Amino acid sequence: MSDVPVRPTEIMAAAGSRELHDGEVAVVGIGLPQVTCVLAKRTHAPTLTALLEIGVINMDPKDTPVGLADSRSFYRATCWSGFLDIMGMNLHRGVVDVGFLGALEIDRYGNINTTLLKDESGKVRYFNGSAGGNDVASLAKRVMMILRHDKRKLLNAVAHLTSPGFVGGKSRKELNLRGGGPHRVITDKAVLGFDSATRSATLLSLHPGIQLDDVVAHTGFALQIPNPVPLTPLPTAEELRLLREEIDPKNVYLG
Amino acid sequence: MSEKVKTIAEVVKTIPDGAHIALGGFAIARNNISVAHELIRQQKKNLTLSQSVVGLENDLLVGAGLVKRLIMGGGSLDRFGPVHCVNRAREASRDFAHDYSSLSITFRYLAGALGISFIPIKCLLASEILERLEAGSASKEDVSRMKCPFTGEEYLLMRALNPDVSFVHVQRADRDGNSQIDGPIWSNEESVKAGNRIIITTEELVPTEVIRREPARTIIPGHRVEAVVHQPFGGHPTGVFGCYDFDAEHLKLYVNHSKKAETFPEYLKTYVTGTKDHWEYLEKVGGLKRMDELKAIQIQGY
Repeated sequence: MSDVPVRPTEIMAAAGSRELHDGEVAVVGIGLPQVTCVLAKRTHAPTLTALLEIGVINMDPKDTPVGLADSRSFYRATCWSGFLDIMGMNLHRGVVDVGFLGALEIDRYGNINTTLLKDESGKVRYFNGSAGGNDVASLAKRVMMILRHDKRKLLNAVAHLTSPGFVGGKSRKELNLRGGGPHRVITDKAVLGFDSATRSATLLSLHPGIQLDDVVAHTGFALQIPNPVPLTPLPTAEELRLLREEIDPKNVYLG
Repeated sequence: MSEKVKTIAEVVKTIPDGAHIALGGFAIARNNISVAHELIRQQKKNLTLSQSVVGLENDLLVGAGLVKRLIMGGGSLDRFGPVHCVNRAREASRDFAHDYSSLSITFRYLAGALGISFIPIKCLLASEILERLEAGSASKEDVSRMKCPFTGEEYLLMRALNPDVSFVHVQRADRDGNSQIDGPIWSNEESVKAGNRIIITTEELVPTEVIRREPARTIIPGHRVEAVVHQPFGGHPTGVFGCYDFDAEHLKLYVNHSKKAETFPEYLKTYVTGTKDHWEYLEKVGGLKRMDELKAIQIQGY
């Protein structure tokens, strides 16, 4: 096991896990966000509560689900309910500390597009839409985005603003949004944060082995860059063991 | 007292063209496939569909050309792929779908279920989702803005959703329509109780005594229900918790056919219009042997 070099997904899971605190409440989707939550629970955040929008609290799947709608993701939950409980009485009520969101595109202010893409000729292709994305982006106390670091995904202007971050660089109060907004972007190359004054994305750390100009070349907007640039901590031996032997042994999400 | 237990064909016959229907599934979980198929067989047209998270049942109906408008919170077929037919329809006409979010659709159903005409929410603000709703055909009919008269906080207001017919596929129901759902229920209670007519399809038709032993599991009480249809494997190829897993092979086959508009009619002809009812469809997708392979292991639910 220790012969296999650390993979970017494992660095991402460990970085995400570090952002979660014991006792917090998180809305997660299937995939790397759920892996991240399980890792946090097994290490420093045993009383972290995971919510699935479909109506599941603190699931303990033994077989890897293909998505939220897979019965495998309901297994051994402490509670089964529905949207009104999870997204209403938890998220809308202001109880959710963290929401994890994926994206087709994001911009420097953490605005997220999951609705459509436009090609060079202007032709539009539709995708999944919001589902719970807009709800989480609007209401979670902080939002973590997880995506591949690519110039076509991190760009100056998203083709469609599905889920709001700091729209136009404005404060959340100005936008009439209760949730705190974007907090971290975790990619396969770096961890980004958001400057408290400008609300624009800043580079917080580079993953080991990644060059700064690689990140800059793959970011479609001007990134605030600190000097020096910290290194993203590698997963610990125990975190790696947990990920590889217990949490996702078949590499469904880490592979 | 009239008998509530009906066949799929009988209940679908009573649905007029142009009806607003809620089906109750979530992506590849507990979709109302037997109803979707029969709507296609009977060629019901110009339908409005509403759903918090769209899935296979909506994709089928849109692909069959029966849907005029889709009111949706988002959706996909999970890892199997997107809802290709829905996405093509959205590309063909910008006004085809009214996009919302999962929670906002649920709130609209909640208002409908409570009999209130609108409901405030703190989602969709500052997003292009709301811009499109305010600029398009949803504008004055469905969304508005308001400052709370007590606190001054800005809210989005949404009109209640009251489908003409709400369906839901459940694990068990009795002949009076008392319906119990196992596992998570996403927006089922709200979408069903918002319906002007409520029709249940059920895996198992049980004696009322079974219901009376666990009345806390009854999500929809019988007095609200117009008809009950007994249809085992009524959700195939989606999964029904506690009854059967989703059919991965058939979902892949479906996605392969739905990828392009040219290949979709072949799927419909083979599995929907080419079968006279859900039983014949089930035979075509592998019959008893396949259903036995998909049957849930009770302790897992899949």
